[in-house]
Amino acid sequence: MICPRCRSSEANTVAHSPVAGVWTMSSCPTCWYAWRSTEPAAATDPDQYYPQFRINAHDIATAPRIV
Amino acid sequence: MQPPFDDLRSFLTTLDAEKQLLHIDRPVALEPDLGAAGRAVANLDGKTAPALLFENIDGFNDARVALNVHGSWANHALMLGMSKTSTIKEQFFELEERWQKFPIPVDRRSEAPWQEVTLTGDDINLFELLPVFRLNPGDAGPYIDKAAVITRDSADPDNFGKQNVGLYRLQVKGPDHLGLQSAAPHDFGIHITNSDTMHQGLPVAIAIGNDPILTLVASTPLEYDQSEYEMAGAWRGGVPYPIVKAPYTGLDVPWGSEIVIEGEVIYQAREYEGPFGEFTGSYSGGRALPVVKVHRVHMRRKPIYEHLYLGQPWTEIDYLLALNTSVPLYRQLKEEFPEVEAVNAMYTHGLLNIISTRVRHGGFGRVVALRLLTTPHGIGYSKIVIVVDETVDPFNLEQVMWALTANVNPEFDAITIPRMYEIPLDPTGNPQGITSRLIIDATTPKPPDIRGEFGTPVTAYPESANWERILKEMIR
Repeated sequence: MICPRCRSSEANTVAHSPVAGVWTMSSCPTCWYAWRSTEPAAATDPDQYYPQFRINAHDIATAPRIV
Repeated sequence: MQPPFDDLRSFLTTLDAEKQLLHIDRPVALEPDLGAAGRAVANLDGKTAPALLFENIDGFNDARVALNVHGSWANHALMLGMSKTSTIKEQFFELEERWQKFPIPVDRRSEAPWQEVTLTGDDINLFELLPVFRLNPGDAGPYIDKAAVITRDSADPDNFGKQNVGLYRLQVKGPDHLGLQSAAPHDFGIHITNSDTMHQGLPVAIAIGNDPILTLVASTPLEYDQSEYEMAGAWRGGVPYPIVKAPYTGLDVPWGSEIVIEGEVIYQAREYEGPFGEFTGSYSGGRALPVVKVHRVHMRRKPIYEHLYLGQPWTEIDYLLALNTSVPLYRQLKEEFPEVEAVNAMYTHGLLNIISTRVRHGGFGRVVALRLLTTPHGIGYSKIVIVVDETVDPFNLEQVMWALTANVNPEFDAITIPRMYEIPLDPTGNPQGITSRLIIDATTPKPPDIRGEFGTPVTAYPESANWERILKEMIR
């Protein structure tokens, strides 16, 4: 599964709604973006994700450490 | 004063009785409905806005979500057992008076409602157990943002006072996997640094859905070795705060919590976290931040998941971080400068402060402001400090604006200090964590600072106080 935010192919489905079939949650182990299947396309579709919040491997590698 | 609330549910009952709670039983989507409603309720009148209780969440059988519990001056007053029409200044001095009871020894108990259900191992999936949701569109994922996070100092683990109870944002990254944010000067940050130094993980308990005073104390800048639980007892009017040991970590957690998560801050682990829409009104950037592995989840049956909306001020967090930031700054200034009358640190968690003080001599106002910059909270937050005379109510912005316009000569009274440390969430940081400070001394110049033409102030006839009372009665 492609992560909508960093486009890693490592993302997985990690949860299912307690009422079956309503939604699933997915999470990306590269950038730790998480999203619900029922969210707007800007949150779930790699091609429609918010441009200002996209990140790449360089952003992750150079993120400042504050503690 | 009413008896204090031991848990969130009893407070919600009182809010309901006072018409300060809206039950929302229509079906709602976790996104975007809950975040959108959180923003919307913050747009209502801040004196009277209600709390919200959502009781029909898509995909859950019996989840409930509470928002805006602290999000108005009426709710803030009811939390303190005061009339919901109490003024901000009345609530300020009530908190200040109760602070004087500190410390109140805790009420240790062995059983708690959150012991009803316990989950371990593969049964832990936070996305399925709790109605966590994305609050604002650019957030990296669901966050837990109104939990009391409890840790001890690994270098002094038996010291009850150094056990910290604080509000820190927690990103839900996986079923049993959290990211967390704390800066180095925070008590939690010190605990993480100390455990890293000792080459060990840090046990952590995360208590969600608490009585309102505990949340207020957990977001108060206390001194490092002051116990939040002993302060909660003081702010409960001297009624000891009930706590119970969490079984996995041995940490002391509130008796009344809805949900208690236990886990460990993993030794030296740092991962990408964020962005998250912060109290400054801007998204924080992504950071390399510590990680929590969850080992136990305890909860009441049908727990209430409490959450807080934050974004462009004012929102619920601005009511929560208002007087509990103002009172400690007032007390710390008052120790050395008894002339100080009140402190308003309500704006963006005290990035701006307004001090009202009597003036001992020329140049006194800026001396008081400089002291504020060296208080524990001031070091990280007090970017702008305005000082006004004792005749100006610092909670009355019309009066403060008058003082700025009538008393300030920018050439003499606007003082900047370059390259100061501050918390790395302020969007003006350059680089993040460093900014200038600004002091605006809007007190009336006194000798030997002789300048301007500050004549005799206009004072009204003393009978105006009686007329004010008469007019108020006629309006009522």
